[in-house]
Amino acid sequence: MRIVRRLLLIGVVAVVGAGMILVPVKTLLGAAEPIKLGWVGPLSPPGGYADGQLMKDAATLAVDEINAKGGVLGRPIQVSYQDTRGLPEEGTAAAERLISQEHVVAIMGEFHSSVFLAEMEVAHKNGIPIVAVDVWANKITAAGYPEVFRVAPCQALIATQWGNWMVAAGFKNVAIIYEKTDGGQSARDVLLPILQAHGVRYDVVGADLNQTDFTAQIERFKTHTPPYDLFHTIYSEAGLYPMVQQAHSAGFAPTARTGISNTGGPATTPTFWKNVGDAGKYLVTEVVGLPKAKWNNITRAFVANFTKRFNSPPTPQAIENYDATYIIVDAIKRAGGTDPKALIAALEKTTWVGGRGKYSFATDHNPDWHYHQFVDAPVNLVQFDKVGQTPDDAPVVWPRSLATVQYTYKRPPQ
Amino acid sequence: MDYLLIQVTNGAIIGIIYALIAVGVTIIFSILKIVNFAHGDLYMLGGYTAYYIVTFLGVPPLGALFLSMAGLFLFGIVLERLFLTPLYSDRTERKDEYGLIVTFGLAFFLRNTALIVFGPFPLRPPSFVPGVVHVGGLAVTNDRIVAGAVGVLLILALLYFMHRTIWGQALDAVSQSRDSAAIVGINPRRFNSLAFGVGAALAAAASALIAPIYSLSPGMGVLPNIQAYVIVILGGMGSVLGSIVAGILLGEAEGLFTAFFPDPTRALAYTNAFGVLVLMIALILRPTGLFGRRHVRME
Repeated sequence: MRIVRRLLLIGVVAVVGAGMILVPVKTLLGAAEPIKLGWVGPLSPPGGYADGQLMKDAATLAVDEINAKGGVLGRPIQVSYQDTRGLPEEGTAAAERLISQEHVVAIMGEFHSSVFLAEMEVAHKNGIPIVAVDVWANKITAAGYPEVFRVAPCQALIATQWGNWMVAAGFKNVAIIYEKTDGGQSARDVLLPILQAHGVRYDVVGADLNQTDFTAQIERFKTHTPPYDLFHTIYSEAGLYPMVQQAHSAGFAPTARTGISNTGGPATTPTFWKNVGDAGKYLVTEVVGLPKAKWNNITRAFVANFTKRFNSPPTPQAIENYDATYIIVDAIKRAGGTDPKALIAALEKTTWVGGRGKYSFATDHNPDWHYHQFVDAPVNLVQFDKVGQTPDDAPVVWPRSLATVQYTYKRPPQ
Repeated sequence: MDYLLIQVTNGAIIGIIYALIAVGVTIIFSILKIVNFAHGDLYMLGGYTAYYIVTFLGVPPLGALFLSMAGLFLFGIVLERLFLTPLYSDRTERKDEYGLIVTFGLAFFLRNTALIVFGPFPLRPPSFVPGVVHVGGLAVTNDRIVAGAVGVLLILALLYFMHRTIWGQALDAVSQSRDSAAIVGINPRRFNSLAFGVGAALAAAASALIAPIYSLSPGMGVLPNIQAYVIVILGGMGSVLGSIVAGILLGEAEGLFTAFFPDPTRALAYTNAFGVLVLMIALILRPTGLFGRRHVRME
């Protein structure tokens, strides 16, 4: 009887002892404190919330993939998503919230240059790294802040391609409507000297981002002598759709006489064709990702997984955010922790290969926008030659080294 | 000449749409004595309702427009019953502030709910009648012609309702004096609901008419909301006829400003500012607006 009691006692002690050892270990393993990242971008009006949503979806996809593989440094990644509504004051508040309340180790995102310029001030003041995802104004990296990195091409890279394309395509008289934002003005400021240097004449009209009626302006363009041969729109939001539609229905562009192009991204989103229909055929736009012929395994997997999960093909902005998430995680891994200075140093040494090619960030200041810019960010111009075509399937017309067709611009028949 | 004609035509069509939105604001203001800051969002909701009626029920766009008006009329009444009844209570001390806060809150709620329900991507309903009409050098899309024509018919129907029917005259009586209207046997509370419903229905019509031209998005009501207030003040707070005239005037003024402003590079950017400038000048010349009458707060 005594033996039985003793065995029972030993058993109980063993179970309790094992529990005391194993439970804390299990707790530690199962509830490893997550590494917190911050995401900023427009998710509601008046910002470009459609683009913001696609970027957020891509970040979610990347985080889920990373966590499914065990996270980084044995800890899961957690992202706090902040809606900045396209307003600089909301961007400042969001960045402050992420840093002081959420204690994030790095921030990524944003679609509006003016908002990012406000956010990066907060990140700079607090020494927290921030990766710009789809903001193009030169002055973002030109500010020279060590905390600021950019995966998107800047206007110096994008607008230069546009200027060179316009010259190569032989346009002589260009009508330009640009959005009055930091991004729009930056595009205009880079483009105009190129056109001027090549003797291309132009007229530039500024418009508010929320403008939807362009008919009066388009009719005014139509009366210009000599007639414009290209209607170039620098517009990053849904205002592009009525603009393209109105230019088409007014018989201004695209026509055999006047071409049409857009820089800013809305022509690459899935809703472009639903909103413009036939009017979108022959439009030229840029893709800030690899052309389909140059896709790597990561690009292919991302496009397939994104399409499967969100029932819609991704945009170039989406893949930028997907890659940005991996770049930060890669830096955390190489830094061996989340110390901001170590993270910045690791980001500077990035050589990660993502869905848009091999990433690296310049560390020189010559020219000023070079600093922490992904200088080799892909930019190619495509021209839709079919209604409903995805940007990835549209022929690449520029740069010529990547072009998939003989022509630089295909005019509609007379 | 063709250039002037096309600008005047387009300005008139946009002006009619402005008038439809603004006249709803005016009716609500004249009866409930509140500025409805959610009007732009009711406008947005009306467009989406018509879009989904076309998409899911296969109803032709014009039929969808009237169904959307009916839907928003009922929705307006529900909103008024749910949120605005404290305006009629003597226990509510600051009625102006209450109306302002409630409609502001409603605006944000509707806009953000639309974002979740309808999604962030702009949508374009099918055309009423696809194609473009060419008359001489004039080219106008069929959608614009339909928007203008149906807009005019709705405005005429509204004027008939306001002046030739017993309900419209009672509505006008309540707008002039609730107490006097009550003395002659009109129940003012019933007309609060009617006014809010009619205002919402007109906003729905404007949105459904313009959607094939501008597309639909959850944030589409923000700018028309501002323009509606410019029109309401310009026309004279509470004047239905004033809102109609001021709406068409603003549409024309904006279009012609863009067309003829000497510096073509700045014309488009200052279009909305020009509308406000017109308002300022009009108010200096006529402080109560074009057809304004002095109004008091909710009695």
